[in-house]
Amino acid sequence: MPQIILEHVSKRFERFVAVEDLNLEIADRGFVTLLGPSGCGKTTTLRMIAGLETPTAGRILIDGKPVFDGEKGINLPPNKRDIGFLFQNYALWPHMTVYENIAFGLEMLKWDRQRIAARVGEMLELLKITEFGKRYPAELSGGQQQRVAIARTLAPSPRVLFMDEPLSNLDAKLRGEMRTELKRLHTDTNSTFVYVTHDQLEAMTLSTRVCLMESGRLQQYAPPLEIYNRPANTFVASFVGNPTMNFIPARVEGREAGTARLRVLGRTAVFTGDLPPRLPEGVTLGIRPEFLPIREEGPVRAQVYSTLPAGMETTVKLKCGEEMLTSVVFGSVDYPVDAGVGLDVVGKDIVLFDGENGKHLSQGALQF
Amino acid sequence: MTKGAADLRREPLKYRLRAFFGKPANLILLFFLITLTVLSLMPMITMLTNMFTVHAGTEKKMLRQGVGSWTLNHFQMLFADREWSQSNFWTPFLNSLIVAAGSGLLGILIGGAVAWFITRSDLKCKKFISAVFVFPYMMPAWTLALFWINMFQNSRVGGGVVGMVESFFGVCMPEWFVYGLFPMIVVIGLHYSPFAYLLIGGILKNMDATLEESATILKASRWTIIRRVTVPIVMPAILSTFLLIFSSGFASYTVPVFLGSATRTFTLSTKMRALIQAGYEGQGYIMAFFSILLGTAILGLNQYFTGKRKSFTTVTGKSGQVSLVKLRGAGGVISALLILFTLFFAIMPLVSFALESVIMQPGNYSFSNMTLNFWIGTEDSAFETGMPNGILMNGTMWMGLLRQVGLALTVAMIVGTCGMLVGYACVRRRGSWLARAVENLAFFPYLMPAMAFGTIYLAVATSASFKWMYGSFFLLGLVASVKFLPFASRSGVNSMMQIAPEIEEAATIFGVPWVTRMRRILFPIQKSAIMSGYLLPVINVMREVALFTLLVPYPRYLLTTMLFSFNETGYAQYGSAVTLLIIVMIIAINSLVNKLTGASFDKGIGG
Repeated sequence: MPQIILEHVSKRFERFVAVEDLNLEIADRGFVTLLGPSGCGKTTTLRMIAGLETPTAGRILIDGKPVFDGEKGINLPPNKRDIGFLFQNYALWPHMTVYENIAFGLEMLKWDRQRIAARVGEMLELLKITEFGKRYPAELSGGQQQRVAIARTLAPSPRVLFMDEPLSNLDAKLRGEMRTELKRLHTDTNSTFVYVTHDQLEAMTLSTRVCLMESGRLQQYAPPLEIYNRPANTFVASFVGNPTMNFIPARVEGREAGTARLRVLGRTAVFTGDLPPRLPEGVTLGIRPEFLPIREEGPVRAQVYSTLPAGMETTVKLKCGEEMLTSVVFGSVDYPVDAGVGLDVVGKDIVLFDGENGKHLSQGALQF
Repeated sequence: MTKGAADLRREPLKYRLRAFFGKPANLILLFFLITLTVLSLMPMITMLTNMFTVHAGTEKKMLRQGVGSWTLNHFQMLFADREWSQSNFWTPFLNSLIVAAGSGLLGILIGGAVAWFITRSDLKCKKFISAVFVFPYMMPAWTLALFWINMFQNSRVGGGVVGMVESFFGVCMPEWFVYGLFPMIVVIGLHYSPFAYLLIGGILKNMDATLEESATILKASRWTIIRRVTVPIVMPAILSTFLLIFSSGFASYTVPVFLGSATRTFTLSTKMRALIQAGYEGQGYIMAFFSILLGTAILGLNQYFTGKRKSFTTVTGKSGQVSLVKLRGAGGVISALLILFTLFFAIMPLVSFALESVIMQPGNYSFSNMTLNFWIGTEDSAFETGMPNGILMNGTMWMGLLRQVGLALTVAMIVGTCGMLVGYACVRRRGSWLARAVENLAFFPYLMPAMAFGTIYLAVATSASFKWMYGSFFLLGLVASVKFLPFASRSGVNSMMQIAPEIEEAATIFGVPWVTRMRRILFPIQKSAIMSGYLLPVINVMREVALFTLLVPYPRYLLTTMLFSFNETGYAQYGSAVTLLIIVMIIAINSLVNKLTGASFDKGIGG
């Protein structure tokens, strides 16, 4: 069964390091997203696994079989890796009809005519594009082209499917629809999906595991909710979640077993959690906006800077001394600008980061 | 950066080499790196040594030195021998500069104006004007020169032959108008104005209309918009077009030969040939080298203009519906003038050549003076035509035509294929030094004026080890292939750039082998552009003179060089007939290829 393993994989372009010593294990039938800002090396990683790009060093195994090994000089071409690849711009061949596009890969596998016709028909039906068989790609809308591209990729039944930002060229509504379809397709095809995106919402909603990268380095590899609740560092914490987590600088004033006294927002607070043996003096508190409710009698005073009601919830930007804080309130509330409000901190997933290097130190509750 | 495990696991050289050669693009690049280095650098070296060594003939006696020994005599004569260098270098050089600058300006002015009218005004008959206007660019430049002479020569200047204007209207144009620098500027400027039109028009057409529209909304007047928005945006393109026409004008050989011989007005390229034929090879090679240096400098300047931050030529946008300038009453007049103008320079030359090729006594256009003997005459008419028979009855002519066509097709096959491969490989390996090197090497011959390029190959073919090449069909094919590769490789690069790499990768994933990917995916997508890459060299070879004139074994070997020998020896009617034949063949080839593949020598930007 197709399990993918990357060992110490690196890729350099002359001096620029695209991917640095990457280790990754993608489970069989998983739906793994490579997430990160543009230029973080996620697409390069995907292309290396697919065999479109040659790593500078390392080892890649698909289904226990090495497809690339820098030391032994193994480098299988993409077509020997039994994979499918869905490109961001679809890469449909403009001079072939939809039917020909889907049939082409099967022709290359030397299937006979009837079998090809049957398979193409099946694919057209699966993707609900049967009526477009004789059209050329240019005569289709973006969403339809996307479906053709998926059909073409799935036709030879690859056991691993790679997708490079496949939804980024679609409008918001279609993107939502295709997301649902992709997740369904993952179950229906019973294969392993590796998916590249810079959209954290896409990563959160689709995948079984998220691989978050920055500047060619792996930041965290975990299930989406763990990434959200227990971010490995401030970069991960800020990249995932919308609106972004609040980062509030704090000073450690003293500690006992399991608690630490912090000076934060001009006040003293007690942090309770599983503390590491040594705490630096300067730390950063990470508080998700939903853990920072507005309450009249809240211990921290702040001023409303602006209110952004979105219907289901309202994002409130607040000014507290020098800090700009974000709070999310359920329902539609409109606070007058510059109104004074009280803030509270709730929940057990308040994160304590190292103030210097931003690494995750502890997880717990905060009380003023 | 930490020295992680990755550094220790770098691939051994052996595997990296295997990975390198596993990519077809790398193999192609390596092949062209070696071939092009040999084909363009070797001749350069031969030419350089020839600049410093003593040649056989008069020079050997004069200097009392052995052939091949070192000397600086060529430099001394060319640059420091007062009168000799004045008449043999400085004056021709200055003439070349004047012609180049003048024709550059004229070309931009005419081409730019037409481009603006076609893309930005509500001119009438746009399609027609656009189609006819680019026509002279397809014809060899010397046809316009010949046409000029046919029209304006008169009893008071040059050989005293009466031209059409004097014959029909009784007007005698002054000598400066008929021969010399003025007509050279006009002819070259006119010839390249379609080129300016295509480049500038293309940019105007692709320029985002919102750039101009936003100025309209800010209450800028039409004229202010042209001055402050449109012109600055197309300025880099205008400069670059000017430089390209400048370098073509500077290198032009055929036009100065026709328009300068009568008054002995030399330019650098005509002088170069005269010197080489008069036994001053060393001096000629120095001139060739000098023009190569100048060409390189101009191209460098061009890259500077188009490459720097202020180059907006790539600015394209949705280019919505441009609101066209209403010409109102003037529109009809301007349309009529443009139609007359384009017709005059596109159709009249053909009429003129047809006429000139059938009149016995030059200048007399009455029916009684007409004969078809220059075309289909037999031995009976030998006396009146001065040749054994008419050109259509002449074996030498047919052989020349056959060779020219054969050469054109051979070169097109080589150049078209190489251009496509270079384009593919350079685009796939874009950014690597190898791709950069090959792209530059393939473009290098463009910097060399055709006459200079012919000259350096002459230097090679007359050297001891390559004697077997001299005057051979092989040599002509080789020279033309290298010389015309720049255009083909440029168009190859451009067409391949339009295909996203994913288009090919999508096929790679299905295990499609490289040859099949080229044949079934890349080639069909860019069919028209790639066919143009094959068509261009055909037309170039069909009309090329300067490149071949020094290399043919005898003047009547090819059709174009034959034409020049006719004109030099005074058989003007034969010259006109052969010219007409060449033009008709070029048009026929272009329209045939256009019908079959949709490719065209120069895709008009249309109305």
